[in-house]
Amino acid sequence: MDYIQLILLALVTFFFAIDQFSLSELLYRPIIACPIIGLILGDYKTGLVVGGTYELMMIGNMPVGGAQPPNAVLGSVVAMIFAVKSGLNVDQALGASFVFALFGQYAVTLVFSISSGLLAKADKAAEEAKPSGIRDVNYIAMFLLGSLFAVFAIIAYVAGDAAAQPLQDFSNNYKWVMEGLGTAGRMMRYVGFAVLLKIMLADDMWGIYFTGFAAAAILGNISQTSGATLLLVAFIGLAIAMYDYNINVKFKSNVSRGGSNDGI
Amino acid sequence: MASNATTYKDLSRANKLDNATLNSIAWKSTMLQASFNFERMQAAGWLWTILPGLEKIHTNKEDLSRSMEHNLEFFNTHPFLVTFVAGIVLSLEQEKADINTIRAVRVAAMGPLGGIGDALFWFTLVPVTAGITAKLAIDGNLLGPVLYFAITFGVQMALRIWLMHWSYNLGASAVGILTKNAKEFTHAASMLGVFVVGALTCNYGATSLGMTIPNGDKPIVVQALLDGILPAFLPLLLTLLCYFLIKKKGWTPIKCIVLFLAIGILGCAIGIWAGDYTPFIPVPWK
Repeated sequence: MDYIQLILLALVTFFFAIDQFSLSELLYRPIIACPIIGLILGDYKTGLVVGGTYELMMIGNMPVGGAQPPNAVLGSVVAMIFAVKSGLNVDQALGASFVFALFGQYAVTLVFSISSGLLAKADKAAEEAKPSGIRDVNYIAMFLLGSLFAVFAIIAYVAGDAAAQPLQDFSNNYKWVMEGLGTAGRMMRYVGFAVLLKIMLADDMWGIYFTGFAAAAILGNISQTSGATLLLVAFIGLAIAMYDYNINVKFKSNVSRGGSNDGI
Repeated sequence: MASNATTYKDLSRANKLDNATLNSIAWKSTMLQASFNFERMQAAGWLWTILPGLEKIHTNKEDLSRSMEHNLEFFNTHPFLVTFVAGIVLSLEQEKADINTIRAVRVAAMGPLGGIGDALFWFTLVPVTAGITAKLAIDGNLLGPVLYFAITFGVQMALRIWLMHWSYNLGASAVGILTKNAKEFTHAASMLGVFVVGALTCNYGATSLGMTIPNGDKPIVVQALLDGILPAFLPLLLTLLCYFLIKKKGWTPIKCIVLFLAIGILGCAIGIWAGDYTPFIPVPWK
């Protein structure tokens, strides 16, 4: 085993894991990531081919092998390992990497859940007006995500494509746990909404809340408008808010002039 | 309106942020999703992004704390367009606007950007660039990935920096309205904010049932029944449940999260929630 290769691989995977949500949000894309991994493994040419193919697959112009891998970072890292080290052809390598990509998605779900717990630390830092505390929370979350991904890259490198089957079995048996965590994760945003509402929602605004909900429900379920739902909703909301503003300003100026205004 | 502090202690207008600070915020905005989480999404990354500005604006510790606290609430927008929100919010912070106003403007501004950013970037710029450069890469040309990065990253960063300056100056020039009719502005902005949160409840809502009740050749899909009553019924119900628990029962957000963890995982154990999995306990409806 080549330890320098392994360490470099773990490091770039750590970086790509963070880059998929932060930093450039572009370097992790297969067209860039695969040649870099190829360079580490000593075959950047294969990296260019796998990366180019994978990139086209991701933008939907080239449906390769049916379903899309759930996580592009582990998908491309592991596909490259299998293509260069295990000598699989491009299609086989992409296929065998699929379960790793699934675990990549699990890792993301896990970190996004744990990071909700980190918010308590962030709240405390805000209370104490300590910017360094906010910085630390962000560092910890990035470190968690990067490390988890690096571990899977190491597994793929050390165990080769033999690791795919046990992982697949594990996933089949415990998928309900991860789906449960994912379902819970997607519910957590309601807590964020509720906190905003607790602060913003005066009693006379319930109708406005439901109107916003209704507008999104309508526009979101029409295929021609669903892509622009929130923008269109904002237009409607803006009209309501401006009307409210103008009426109240006029009302105020009328009152201050003792109601003797001609109203125009 | 909120019962806790809604204004800053020091109400004197802060100095304008210099260009270097604005640029550093634009670069820092690339870390927006560093601590993305399911509860408040980009909140901690958002605060981290604008902190250099907040530290310059709020020189007294108590105001900085107030500002940090309200900027840690739920936040989610398109990462490449976030500096638009940052510019407006910082111009309001600098003006020491009412905290409710800042919050409402922030919520109203972040919502619509998601769709715009995706349409501009992931559905237009990236596919077009990839279409050209992926061919180069597959032919073994290193220029493929290099061009891909140069174009997409160049456009992204230019947009971040330009939006930062543009929206900061826009916000600064619009605050005249604010100072003249502050109370009315706050009310209108809060309306818009609540309206957008209503829309987010539906649009970001992502909870659905996976149960199908066997019924001869016409199995009953429970989620379809719910959609017939009200689309996004469960997201609305769960949001209102949280609101009720937090506002009326004094629950902390953490308690709500633990509740959701339990509902989520137990629900999947008995096959209630949608998804591609086999329930832990075999049930007739999944």
